Amino acid sequence: MHGMRPFAVAGLLAATLAHGLAAQLPTATPAHRAAGQRVTEIRFEVEELIVRRGETVSLTPTLVDASGNVVEGAMALLIARGGLTPQISAATGPAVELTGDVPGSVTLVALVVVEPGQSSAFGIPGVRQLASLPVRVLDYPAASIDIAEPQHTAYTGTSIQLHGTVLTDHGGEHATATIRWGSLDPSRAVVTEGGVLSGVAPGTVTVTASTENGVSVQRSVQVVANPVRSISITPSHAETRTGDVVAFDIVARDASGGAVDDIALDLSVSGLAGTGGFVFADGTFVAEEPGAYRVLAGSGGASAAAVVEVTARPEPTDVELLDHGVRAEVATSDLWVFEGADGEDYAYTGTHAQGGGERMFVWRVTDPSNVELVDSVVVDARVVNDVKVNEDASWAIITREGASTRRNGIVVLDLADPAHPSIMGELTDSLTGGIHNVWIMGDVVYAVNDGTSAMHIIDMSDPGSPKHAGRWEIRPGDTNKSLHDVWARDGYAYLSYWDDGLVILDVGAGTHGGTPLKPTFVSSIAYPEGNTHVAWRDRDYVFLGDEIGTADGMRGFIHVIDVSDVENPVQVAKYDLPEAGAHNIWVEDETLYIAYYQGGLRIVDVSGTLRGDLYRQGREIGFFRTSPGEGEGLQPNQAMAWGPQVFKGNVFVSDMLSGLWVVKHVKPRNIAF
Amino acid sequence: MTVRTTLAAATLLVLTGAAGQGGAQEPGAVYRAYVANESSDLVSLIRFDGREIVEEKAIEVGFHPADIEGAHGIAVSPSGEHWYVSIAHGQPYGQIWKMETGRDVFVDSALVGLFPATMALTPDGSGLFVVNFNLHGDPVPSTVSALFTPWMQETGQIETCVMPHGSRVSRDGSRHYSTCMMSDQLVEISVGKTNVSRRMVLTAGHEHVMAGPAGGASGMDMGGAGICKPTWVVVAPDDSRLYVPCNGRGEVLEIDAASLEVLRRFPTGRGPYNADVTPDGATLVVTLKGDRALAIFDLATGVEKRVPTSRPVTHGVVVTPDGRYALVTNEAVGATRGTVDAVDLVSARVVASAPLHYQPGGIGFWKMERR
Repeated sequence: MHGMRPFAVAGLLAATLAHGLAAQLPTATPAHRAAGQRVTEIRFEVEELIVRRGETVSLTPTLVDASGNVVEGAMALLIARGGLTPQISAATGPAVELTGDVPGSVTLVALVVVEPGQSSAFGIPGVRQLASLPVRVLDYPAASIDIAEPQHTAYTGTSIQLHGTVLTDHGGEHATATIRWGSLDPSRAVVTEGGVLSGVAPGTVTVTASTENGVSVQRSVQVVANPVRSISITPSHAETRTGDVVAFDIVARDASGGAVDDIALDLSVSGLAGTGGFVFADGTFVAEEPGAYRVLAGSGGASAAAVVEVTARPEPTDVELLDHGVRAEVATSDLWVFEGADGEDYAYTGTHAQGGGERMFVWRVTDPSNVELVDSVVVDARVVNDVKVNEDASWAIITREGASTRRNGIVVLDLADPAHPSIMGELTDSLTGGIHNVWIMGDVVYAVNDGTSAMHIIDMSDPGSPKHAGRWEIRPGDTNKSLHDVWARDGYAYLSYWDDGLVILDVGAGTHGGTPLKPTFVSSIAYPEGNTHVAWRDRDYVFLGDEIGTADGMRGFIHVIDVSDVENPVQVAKYDLPEAGAHNIWVEDETLYIAYYQGGLRIVDVSGTLRGDLYRQGREIGFFRTSPGEGEGLQPNQAMAWGPQVFKGNVFVSDMLSGLWVVKHVKPRNIAF
Repeated sequence: MTVRTTLAAATLLVLTGAAGQGGAQEPGAVYRAYVANESSDLVSLIRFDGREIVEEKAIEVGFHPADIEGAHGIAVSPSGEHWYVSIAHGQPYGQIWKMETGRDVFVDSALVGLFPATMALTPDGSGLFVVNFNLHGDPVPSTVSALFTPWMQETGQIETCVMPHGSRVSRDGSRHYSTCMMSDQLVEISVGKTNVSRRMVLTAGHEHVMAGPAGGASGMDMGGAGICKPTWVVVAPDDSRLYVPCNGRGEVLEIDAASLEVLRRFPTGRGPYNADVTPDGATLVVTLKGDRALAIFDLATGVEKRVPTSRPVTHGVVVTPDGRYALVTNEAVGATRGTVDAVDLVSARVVASAPLHYQPGGIGFWKMERR
């Protein structure tokens, strides 16, 4: 038996990359500890340490006793949580050297080493905390400013936003520096500190851009006499509904009647009998509230206005419950509804971890008001997250995660008897980490590999014996990425790549040389919320859902991405239900169906042009809370909608807590103006 | 050594600590341990009083209410004030959560590498080493993360090998050991220098030592002859010996910690996986994942006693500080809940068992109290 014994300080290491050094710092001796016992205060010669990135400074801690006398021979530990190198230093002499590393503010904590058992700090026995010191790490010095080319000509009487980038003397963008703008001749152009230039009189004006540390650049800007003498503005519709986008034909003309195209017009909207109208830089208008709105386009002395009258969209219509296939013992995951080879309709639902996710349930749904559980398939898994059936309903794939053997991958089901599917094959090699989602495109399956964060391409020409046919991923070799879902149609695949956003691939569209087995990159778009979870394209819009787990439950919303220029996707709208989190989606007949976790099923009209916040515009046309009663789910009175699918005019929804729901929704009648 | 950030790697280690405890049996004791349930994202606090095991608490871990995040490894600080759990799955990087014992509330967390698994703390509790198992990824070299636990800051990632698993720090706090399932190696890290000091190839007939950090860059042909496929390493209480289960060939190696030479080989059943040693250094316990059993080796004689466990896929094991019992986790399969068993090391039988949640694996001993 070994009794308790104190350890000496065995090692305290600082490895400084900047110098390529690794120096062993002194260990704490009994003498250090004894001296440390007398220390009651650690003082620094500064109240704040300011160090530039890459710069090394000396810091001298003074260790004093209760009488204010300096204690010799004690050891101080200086610890900085980020920002400085080394992060941990031991001071037994007059000074330590610290190097600025990452720009920002940190706190340096100073501890003294004392006798074991006498004190502790941060869970470390044998030390006592005695001081802290604020530290500011400044970036490399700003060295230059790049001023971007303005997007519009600087006409008198117009305002344009100037843009610039501060670069450090190491070439990168400065972490904190801001630009202060100015004009050397306000009689020609006034420039705000924020960089808004307003043309006053024709001629050349020198614009200045400077930083706090004195870096300054100048640029000549030509202010041109405003040629606009008249403006016309014509709305595509003078009467519309909330959420319906009105485009304006706005033309500015000079004295000879020629169009002036490169001018920044002033666009504004005022509510004559309502609020909540928006006009965008491209001259489109949308309102969230009914009322009359006056949209104004102006420049110099010319202006024109148009009035748009906005009525409310129709109220959401009822969603009728047809039946509920209860699963109260296990969580339900994804679903797929199809017509089987026997002419009957079926819904397959996967299972999630709560209650043991080892099954796929088979429901006969030919009569959607009387769904019938007819069978299940059991596999070695703890999550069967996804279920997909191929186009002719001859085979299906279920995904596995949490297998006891840790060999997960996919399982292929033979649907010759769709009421009682049988396992006909599997593929686990290189897919051991688990498959979260799949998409079937003919004889090709795209599988989301949890482990590699790559889209694995599987040849299903012999469905009983699936074979690897390749893989595609962003940044091969870089592990810092996470793929969550894939969806494909009409030659493009849409990959939901979490914090890397949406990635679009050509998988046979004929535009970028891709094929189903050899995809090629087309474009991508990321957004600040990240967590891009699911994608679905309809017309020129991709609907993207992000999935964000918080302490208050699921959050995240639907981003609407305009891909009319597939190489330059841009976000144009969103549907953001404030109190819940988006999950899987389905789009059909210009209607978006969202399984919105706690929010149940949401049905949204996504017809026409989409701009702004579709939720606030009243585009929701139906709602069903997939909330079970007592005994009808894992949790009563709680919705956790997982996935929707429209099938033969009904909406099937899987809910994690309660199983399969079938509902009927009749759309509100459209009003034509 | 590779460092993911541009910060310096710095690790504060070993200010004070305690040597291995135990030897005398405490038949009237009450034992508490934490168990990670990987497919439930729950950590169980269990209580064993010599007769029965009770799950006192099931603590939710992970940040995502709808996805399984894979609570895998558990470590309890030497002071008993905190427990740590590796949240393995990540998007893509996993996390280490620091929790307060008793109240079982979240304290802090740190982002580490791909699929963090087994952890070990330095004797003073300020340093934590976690293997980034990268279980699900490509067979490329992975790392061991070093964390400064007071602030839960990763101070560096030390590249070791393909699929590192098992993590233990020597009692004197100077060395860290891990193994490489797919590089067939035992890796020794100098805790003071936070770099690889030695490697030992474990393939039968080819055992040899490589000094320094080189040699871990590639995976092995795991179908080759004599492959060990090591999954764990445990250090003898006096730091003199290491015990490495060879999951691939059904034996445990006893290795001299100074020379890294194989001293003895103990044949086991199928799939030896995790291991522990009694505080007196006399008994080695090894979970047999493929045989639904715990193997108990008398290290003086090499004689094995085998104890069938209550459920299949036997995974984690920890010996109580009095050396009396081994607490063993059994993952089970699919929707069958796993269990924790208490094995009496004297009578070599399961004396208590309790169902937990899905896939209980990692287990960390918290404390032993008199009734």
